[in-house]
Amino acid sequence: MALNKRERKNTELKVALAGNPNSGKTTMFNELTGSRQHVGNWPGVTVEKKTGRAFYQDYSLEVIDLPGTYSLGAYSEDEVVARDFLTAGDYDVVLNIINSANLDRNLYFTVQLLEMGVDLIAVLNMADEAEKKGIKIDKNKLSQLLGTPVVETVASRGRGIDNLLEQTVQNRDLSEASLKINYGSDIEDLISEVVEMLKQYDFSQQINQRWAAVKLIEHDPEAVKLLEREVGASKAKKIKSLIAERELKAEDDFDNVIIDKKYEFINKVIAESVQRPTADEEPENVSDKIDAVVTNKYLGIPIFMAVMWAIFKFTFTLGDPLIGYIETFFEIAGGWIGTQLLEIGVSPLISSFITDGIIGGVGSVLVFIPNIFLLFLAIGVLEDSGYMSRAAYVMDKVMSKLGLHGKSFIPMIVGFGCNVPGVMATRTLDSKRDRIISILINPLMSCSARLPVYVVFAGALFSSHASTVVFSLYLMGIVMAVIMAGIFNKILFKGERSHFVMELPPYRFPTLKGVIIHMWEKVGAFLKKAGTIIFSVVVLIWVLANLPLGVEYASAESFIGQFGQLVAPIFAPLGFGSWQAAASLVFGILAKEVVVGTLGVVYAAGEGGLRTALLANFTPLAAYSFLTMVLLYTPCIATLGAIKSETQSWKWTLITASYLFVLAWITAFVIYQGGMLLGIGV
Amino acid sequence: MPLAMLRQGETACIKEIVGGRTARGKLTDMGFVSGKTVKIHRSSGGPLIVGLGDNRIALGRGMAHKVIVDNKGCEN
Ligand SMILES: Nc1nc2c(ncn2[C@@H]2O[C@H](COP(=O)(O)OP(=O)(O)OP(=O)(O)O)[C@@H](O)[C@H]2O)c(=O)[nH]1
Ligand SMILES: [Mg+2]
Repeated sequence: MALNKRERKNTELKVALAGNPNSGKTTMFNELTGSRQHVGNWPGVTVEKKTGRAFYQDYSLEVIDLPGTYSLGAYSEDEVVARDFLTAGDYDVVLNIINSANLDRNLYFTVQLLEMGVDLIAVLNMADEAEKKGIKIDKNKLSQLLGTPVVETVASRGRGIDNLLEQTVQNRDLSEASLKINYGSDIEDLISEVVEMLKQYDFSQQINQRWAAVKLIEHDPEAVKLLEREVGASKAKKIKSLIAERELKAEDDFDNVIIDKKYEFINKVIAESVQRPTADEEPENVSDKIDAVVTNKYLGIPIFMAVMWAIFKFTFTLGDPLIGYIETFFEIAGGWIGTQLLEIGVSPLISSFITDGIIGGVGSVLVFIPNIFLLFLAIGVLEDSGYMSRAAYVMDKVMSKLGLHGKSFIPMIVGFGCNVPGVMATRTLDSKRDRIISILINPLMSCSARLPVYVVFAGALFSSHASTVVFSLYLMGIVMAVIMAGIFNKILFKGERSHFVMELPPYRFPTLKGVIIHMWEKVGAFLKKAGTIIFSVVVLIWVLANLPLGVEYASAESFIGQFGQLVAPIFAPLGFGSWQAAASLVFGILAKEVVVGTLGVVYAAGEGGLRTALLANFTPLAAYSFLTMVLLYTPCIATLGAIKSETQSWKWTLITASYLFVLAWITAFVIYQGGMLLGIGV
Repeated sequence: MPLAMLRQGETACIKEIVGGRTARGKLTDMGFVSGKTVKIHRSSGGPLIVGLGDNRIALGRGMAHKVIVDNKGCEN
């Protein structure tokens, strides 16, 4: 359509990837641009626009990955992102990524784009899956019927990419003609009349008038809004009442007729260009067989719990010995570097900076790389398998008691990796109320940044029960989320009842490449975080531990000690009233790993590392209470930032920050005081 | 009859989609349109799992009441 097509050099192209959710857009984006954006086998992985660059021959392509959408109707925030981008028209070509094994539904969106006059290439992706099902698509015929180029690809194996690029640059100037579907004489007459009326107005010169007319006849709210904005309410009313008048006379609502005609057109296209094996009774496929067990009424939830347990065990049990090695390495390295530095006559201050500050602080966080690595490996496999939407289906039983539905569970699972994408994933929920509740409870999902804190405490104080203790924290997070969702559901605004419709994609074998990319991305992000924010905070704390000048390092008289003492009384009733614990929690709001980093710096003076220091300063009960606090209290600033930008409201951000702190305090108080009364772990 | 009334394993033909604009829009976008055959893969209290061609779609009970079907199946 090229409304605002910017002036670009002949060799510069702006290309957008659009299509149904889970059709392989991001896989294609990564393949084209060499990026490593998040891919997963469930609908709604991508929720924001991403840009990358691809080069082909002399061409430079700006490639934009969009969230998936079933139509231009846009019922949720992520779909709005895609719709707004596509209707604004600031691109040269759309690569419409289509799931070839599911042509009719995918073409519904294609047809909408073509009607709008979008220059697009129909990309028949997942050609491998279509082939396996024996679906044969006559590309030339399809191309002719749709009036647009058709290319076949398998994005996950990089098949057909060159051809796609070739077609893209060759078709950068597609004809401006748009697809016309015959809607029957009643509607066609009305379209002509509306087009005539629209022609009077300047704004209509820049849009496809027929398309605008059809949208108005469908009562599309966006189209009506546009019209009212451009021509004023009274003139818009003339067009609206003409449509209303005709519709009254017609047998059927026009929007229904238009939808039916579109599908009729698609059916005809498919009948002429697609061959399917004619099985009388479609055989049950593997996915159905798995689903028969996994979504079973009684087995569903236990299986889900077992999956969580397995992921957890994998991360924890396999990671533990590896952590041991790295820990030993840092200890030996720290000691060796310390003596070397002294020998070459470096001042004790600098030596302390390196051994206590950097190795004690950043090192104590880096130790957990194996856990992070394994956790994201497991999450990657989970996300690629197709189980995510099954988990959402199964958990609908619980979620619906809270006034939410199963789809709200997906952001929660995402939150186990990190709450920032967890909060963003709520964009796929179409009710504002569901979205707010899901955002408010997302920080209760224990993210990977909290894992190091659990592991270091559990290792020091709960040796033989370490994994049970940590798993209990994960469960506590889920239970608290459920309780809080229930409470918010009661006290918050009564919203519209939301509609639960969710695709269950076929199970796919996780691709090694996909899983490794995902894991590398996350480990890379962790390293970057360690090198930036964690490093800076740790340095700050080391400095504060050395001031005022001449103070004993990390003593109660140092600045950090004084600051900690100021805050510590708040936590005293919870069993950890030391200034070290208080300081670590306050700085932990910058990033949760910093809790460990801070403790590493301030306890670095002691022999035998952090574990020994923790053993000396915490009882098991106090440690459990402390971990409860770390699990539940105020989320890190990155998460708060995400909440602010997603809710567009300081109110919700502050509510989240404060209710979580109160919840954490009360829970830790009950645990600690209860434990004291019963004499457990004291 | 509404789709929600069918039993597990039954197939039917979609006659029409009723309900508000949003609900209808979401259903037709997902391919619930008159003349298509649906199969109930699971119906056990919670949301349904229905088969629509090769698609498997989880459908809340409320939504399933908006899909009106004929359990005699589609012609031809
Ligand atoms: N068999 C097969 N699988 C594919 C192909 N392309 C992508 N996939 C898989 O399909 C799933 C979805 O891929 P994504 O790239 O995340 O899909 P998307 O369109 O970006 O999805 P949303 O962001 O949710 O809209 C992943 O499991 C991919 O590995 C393909 O050509 N063949
Ligand atoms: Mg994507």
